[in-house]
Amino acid sequence: MTLTESWAAMLSRTSFIELDARERAGALLDDGTARELCGPFDRIESPWLEPQGVVPQSDDGVVVVKGRLGGQPAVVVGIEQAFQGGGIGEVPGVKIATALSLAAQDNREGTPTAAVLLLETGGVRLQEANLGLATVAEVCAAVLELRALQPVVGVVAGALGCFGGMTIAAGLCTKLIMTEEGRLGLNGPEVIESEAGVAEFDASDHALVWSIDGGRQRVRTGLADALVLDDVSALRSAVIDAVRGGVPDEHRSQRLRELRACLESVDPGRVVEASEVAGGWAKAVPRKGGAG
Amino acid sequence: MGFANALPRDWTKRRTAKRERLEAVRPHVSGRVVNPARMRDTLQALLRPGDRVALEGDNQKQADFLAEALAGCDPDVVHDLHLLISSISLPEHLDVFERGVARRLDFAYAGPQSVRMAQLLADGKVEVGAIHTYVELYARMFVDLIPGVALLCAEQADRDGNLYTGASTEDTPTIAEAVAFSDGVTVVQVNEIVDRVPRVDIPGDWVDLVVESPRPFALEPLFTRDPRHIGQVEILMAMMTLRGIYERHEVTTLNHGIGFDTAAIELLLPTYGAELGLRGKICKHWTLNPHPTLIPAIESGWVESVHCFGGEPGMDRYVAARPDVFFTGRDGSLRSNRVLCQLAGQYAVDLFIGSSLQIDADANSSTVTEGRLSGFGGAPNMGHDPHGRRHPSPTWLGLLTGEAPIRRGRKLVVQVTQTFRTGGTPAFVETLDAVPVGQDAGMPIPPIMIYGDDVSHVVTEEGVAYLYKASGPAERRDAVAAIAGATPIGRRSDDRRVEVLRRDGLVALPEDLKVDVRRARRSLLAARSIEDLVAWSGGLYEPPARFRSW
Repeated sequence: MTLTESWAAMLSRTSFIELDARERAGALLDDGTARELCGPFDRIESPWLEPQGVVPQSDDGVVVVKGRLGGQPAVVVGIEQAFQGGGIGEVPGVKIATALSLAAQDNREGTPTAAVLLLETGGVRLQEANLGLATVAEVCAAVLELRALQPVVGVVAGALGCFGGMTIAAGLCTKLIMTEEGRLGLNGPEVIESEAGVAEFDASDHALVWSIDGGRQRVRTGLADALVLDDVSALRSAVIDAVRGGVPDEHRSQRLRELRACLESVDPGRVVEASEVAGGWAKAVPRKGGAG
Repeated sequence: MGFANALPRDWTKRRTAKRERLEAVRPHVSGRVVNPARMRDTLQALLRPGDRVALEGDNQKQADFLAEALAGCDPDVVHDLHLLISSISLPEHLDVFERGVARRLDFAYAGPQSVRMAQLLADGKVEVGAIHTYVELYARMFVDLIPGVALLCAEQADRDGNLYTGASTEDTPTIAEAVAFSDGVTVVQVNEIVDRVPRVDIPGDWVDLVVESPRPFALEPLFTRDPRHIGQVEILMAMMTLRGIYERHEVTTLNHGIGFDTAAIELLLPTYGAELGLRGKICKHWTLNPHPTLIPAIESGWVESVHCFGGEPGMDRYVAARPDVFFTGRDGSLRSNRVLCQLAGQYAVDLFIGSSLQIDADANSSTVTEGRLSGFGGAPNMGHDPHGRRHPSPTWLGLLTGEAPIRRGRKLVVQVTQTFRTGGTPAFVETLDAVPVGQDAGMPIPPIMIYGDDVSHVVTEEGVAYLYKASGPAERRDAVAAIAGATPIGRRSDDRRVEVLRRDGLVALPEDLKVDVRRARRSLLAARSIEDLVAWSGGLYEPPARFRSW
């Protein structure tokens, strides 16, 4: 492909990031199979927002859509980044956890059902702090329940990224797919800057932020699995591939010895450049014995 | 013979003074090159109390190293300077006053420093001569505010003082001319001193001293708008502007102000504009900085020429690769010139369009909204109908005014705004904030950005008001109210009145313009992200880090 052709392909793509959560879920599933569960007309919305001066939304920012992925039954759960920064409160957390548990139940009853999580979230919704934290724990438990039976695929496409408590759920996913625009990090750049100061982390320095949290780096360092162009058909194929890959013998989150070796290979007394991490981790050798 | 008794006058005082000043700095200088470590000493030797000093600092590039050296001068040696700065952007600009190095100030814009500026005014640390528009301030440098010293900035200099300003020529030649030809002293900070400059933007003959700055001068990407932040309302207004103004008035020569409203128009040309069959009929010749959002229109063959006020970070390689469109030098890079582009924007273009933040019932428009004075910048230079124009064009003649047989055409001056700003503040108001702010600042007249009688069209999400068609002030107010939505001004209107205005052609709603509101979606934008703009440019556009999300 010539340079000109690749730019033309870039422009002719259908951007996934452009879509809202509902459109994203629909775009991933096989044509004509999408069916929303617990949709906006069921009016299950947060009771906690209005007293705090926030206009609630009828789906409370989480969209659950059942359908088929490459022919196989699947449920796609999309977090809407445009509503409250994708914050997870009581209703969103319960919607996600319940969708995953019901998928697990379908599996146990003989219908192999996979799940896809579209993770655009700043973490727990501050207005519902404790309930949000509790439901994130339920989400994680439900991921663990389902991933033993069928793949749970996480997608961090952008433009918000995945931060806070939900990155733990992202870390538990069978496979994690990112775009170059996507970001993944337990603490968001602004949080680090406000807690530790601009000298520690300058959240306005996009090159720095993406060199650490960005999709390219997360895939390079093995914390995510696939880097995909921001394009509906490219993402859909990557998701279908991940589902077809089935349940692995060991999930990333179970490979504790390798992950510990990576951490131990870093000297905390020295400033590590983002570009050094992938090389350093590739050389990190797990110690023999011990847990994990 | 009374003349014979008159004392002989010395006609070369300025020239003598210049010689003495250059003599005084000699210990710090080799040839024309100042030792950067001695910059402050050089300024202390060069400057005299009360000097009028032009410090280059426009809305984009800043002579920041010289500003810092000036702010560091000993106020016992250098004091009571009169500074001319077009844009007060750096803290150092105001440190100069706080430390007593300078006392008097004439400027055009103080956006980033306006809060501190207000405090210094209140403390009596600074005396403001006047707040100008850009070209006005430069014009005065040739009349009653001739600077004795200019502190300028450029990309490169050779040892003879020939300057290469690169894409950001901007105001440097104008200030240099005012000073060099009135026996003033020009001091220029450059990013590097080279044996041979790629092209001569300012001849060394105009330059007295150059200094290599320890770091490149600051340059702000002011004209870059990320398409991701363009929403449906901006797209709707852009659709109405294209149909109701550009197509209707066959606008071929134009200037766009900065903002998401105009960026949306630029990004609709290759899609919606092409659908309407307007390519080659509108938007051919521009006075405009190299807006990244214009790339898709250029690549789709809409744009024949662009003359620029200044450069834009990240656009150098793209501009250099499109010399048929942009003004470029022998070295291939952009040549900009703010004053000439402003002049072109006044006399040679048929339309100015810009975003407003506040509009009153008579269509007076202002960007002063936060209770403080930020100044004018260049919008008023573009946003008026220049009465010095004589050449006709179909667009200009389309707005014929006056009583036959003495008639003249009119420039289109368009203001765009949503009826409510973010946070639910109405954009249409009884009294502009500019009025009390002007009073508080002791200004003799309120700081209006665009006067209502110059505004020919106002566009909101409700529709387009064709104010130039109004028969009198009452009808103008009715037309403004008709598109002012649920704001206090808009509530003065009613359906029946709007019907009459639509029938008479003073107001057009989307359906009158055959604009389908449902199509106002982001999918209509030719580029929806910075990544798309890079792709449109074939990789030539190199966005600054802060605009990258990858």
